[in-house]
Amino acid sequence: MFPKPIEKSSRQWQIGYQVLLPFAMLLWLAPLIAVALFSIRPDADFSTGNYWGIPSSFEFFTNYGQVINSAMPRYILNSFMITLPTMVGAVALSCMTGFALGVYKFRGNLLIFFMFIAGNFIPFQILMVPVRDLTLDMGLYNTKTGLVLFHIAFQTGFCTLFMRNFIRALPFELIEAARVEGIAEWRIFWYVVLPLMRPAIAALCVLIFTFIWNDYFWAIVLTTGENAQPVTAGITSFNAQFRAMYHLMSAGSLIAALPPVIIFFLLQRHFIAGLTLGAVK
Amino acid sequence: MRSMLKASVAALATVVALTGPASAELTGDLRINLDTSNPAPRATMEAMIARFQAANPALNITTTVIDREAYKTQIRNFLSADAPDVLTWYAANRMRPYVEAGLLEDVSDMWADGTTIANELASTKGAMTIDGKQWGVPYTYYQWGIYYRKDIYEELGLSEPANFDEMLSNCEAMIASGRKCYTIGTKWLWTASGWFDYLNMRTHGFDFHMSMARGEVEWTDPRVRETFENWGKLVRMGAFVDDHQNKDWQQSLPFLVNGEAGAILKGNFAVAPLRDAGLTDDQLDFHQFPMITEGVAMAEDAPTDTFHIAAGAQNKDNARAFLAFVASAAEQTEINNGSNLGQLPVNATSSIDDDKFLKEGFAMLSSNSPGGVAQFFDRDFPAEMAKAAMEGMQEFMVFPDNLDEILERLEEVRQDVY
Repeated sequence: MFPKPIEKSSRQWQIGYQVLLPFAMLLWLAPLIAVALFSIRPDADFSTGNYWGIPSSFEFFTNYGQVINSAMPRYILNSFMITLPTMVGAVALSCMTGFALGVYKFRGNLLIFFMFIAGNFIPFQILMVPVRDLTLDMGLYNTKTGLVLFHIAFQTGFCTLFMRNFIRALPFELIEAARVEGIAEWRIFWYVVLPLMRPAIAALCVLIFTFIWNDYFWAIVLTTGENAQPVTAGITSFNAQFRAMYHLMSAGSLIAALPPVIIFFLLQRHFIAGLTLGAVK
Repeated sequence: MRSMLKASVAALATVVALTGPASAELTGDLRINLDTSNPAPRATMEAMIARFQAANPALNITTTVIDREAYKTQIRNFLSADAPDVLTWYAANRMRPYVEAGLLEDVSDMWADGTTIANELASTKGAMTIDGKQWGVPYTYYQWGIYYRKDIYEELGLSEPANFDEMLSNCEAMIASGRKCYTIGTKWLWTASGWFDYLNMRTHGFDFHMSMARGEVEWTDPRVRETFENWGKLVRMGAFVDDHQNKDWQQSLPFLVNGEAGAILKGNFAVAPLRDAGLTDDQLDFHQFPMITEGVAMAEDAPTDTFHIAAGAQNKDNARAFLAFVASAAEQTEINNGSNLGQLPVNATSSIDDDKFLKEGFAMLSSNSPGGVAQFFDRDFPAEMAKAAMEGMQEFMVFPDNLDEILERLEEVRQDVY
């Protein structure tokens, strides 16, 4: 099942592997390299068809300068103001739902749990029209609050699944021991369970951060203006009426991609843990 | 004050534009929704509104700029739920749904015979008219036509074609020299419909084209077939670049820049990127799409952007004053110049920039388009019809032998749509 470590294969295989690897990586990274290259090209290169050659002039400072002087910082700020509250809200709620569903045995426990999960099985595209109408009726259309509330509601399903399973795997004896001591239930949650959930919370935070940061669909459905739109949707504002400004969009995308990348490297351990936590019990 | 305003909107326009605030100050509110979200047009519009504000210091103007694409989905929403006073939109069929839903204000009074607007903006009156009434004023348009590599034409001893036969023989010479005649990128479909507009308007005329747009002609009509057959002559001789269905219009430009294709049928917005790419005005030139059927009056595509008043507007008098301001020659000259929109003013008494292509376009539209001015296929035809038709046109440009099938399919769509 698992791939055999390359050191254990024959010499020819090893050489073949080492020769092929750089090419495979180049191929794999080609779109990203293209974006990076595009971001330092002058506009004229796109009209002369110079997509892959040497840029006819080096426009790193011009392009990135233009990006920084545009509405981009505003959009990035919006992204943070949408992503961070969503992350906190969804994780906080799911800690509590996960605790309730994982610790207490009551009638309908499984049913409620399934309802949380069921949300994940609905293709979110079919929610587009009702959710838009709902936010409009609530006066939350084209606001950051609207987007945050929707994201929290929608992400809590997945987070609850994650948290509930994690709490289930904790040694139940700890909770029983605390109960024997006569500690209030909310104190058990706060002082016993929550500290044990730290790795799960960290992992979930990283996951949710990247999910929400990269969300494009809801950003264009629920927001329209500079005042609320996150960077994923705002990036097209570089386009002129008739022309796509590939160089500026590339530069903008690279800047927009930085926060999740930074977060990933800072919390890499948790990220991988998060992906495997639910899988291996 | 208000009734006086209403009575003399046209006079007011001149007053506002020329003499400023002294004699006609507006008060109250004016709410404007703009779709000019891209940086340059946005600055242009904001500067224009600032001039209007300066002329009317007592007026409280609120401007909302909405992303151009988002605007298209929001317009119905804000017109019915939270109507602004003034809004930007497009002429002809693109405004029809909102006119029919009663969401736009009838401004026929501003277009009445003898008014400044009626005299100076006559070329687009037709495009602003639905059911015999006018529903807004235009502020800019731009020409379509054939932009070609003059240096390559000269090298091959070719000249601007005057009719379809010359167009075809030019093309043969171009192909013999190892080039393609026309570059095009049909990935987003609309570019192909530009060719259909011109071939159809040159083969059967503006009125026929418009009756098609109104759904009065069957797509299987022999006249429609004739248009497609003219197109097929070009397709079959290999006039267009290969693989055009995989390219957007910007990706089709390198063929022209690198001399692999001789010309492109496009709106004037193609000039800026072509100049950026290094083509000089000696290399790049413009000509009107040549005549096909003798005696058919020349008609042009010139997509027009417009200002309207919402039917639910609160401050209609102020809105009318603003529309008159926008229509004035001075403002149209200013907002359309090279450092602003870089397009053509609709007001015939405006002056235009010293730009070769704008001059040729202005001359063509004001004096050599007697047949009429169309808005472009996807603005003239209803959206569902346009979508299906443009898909068919792209298919036709790749598989010209599928024509019968395509036309039958489009005829079915026509019967559903109208």
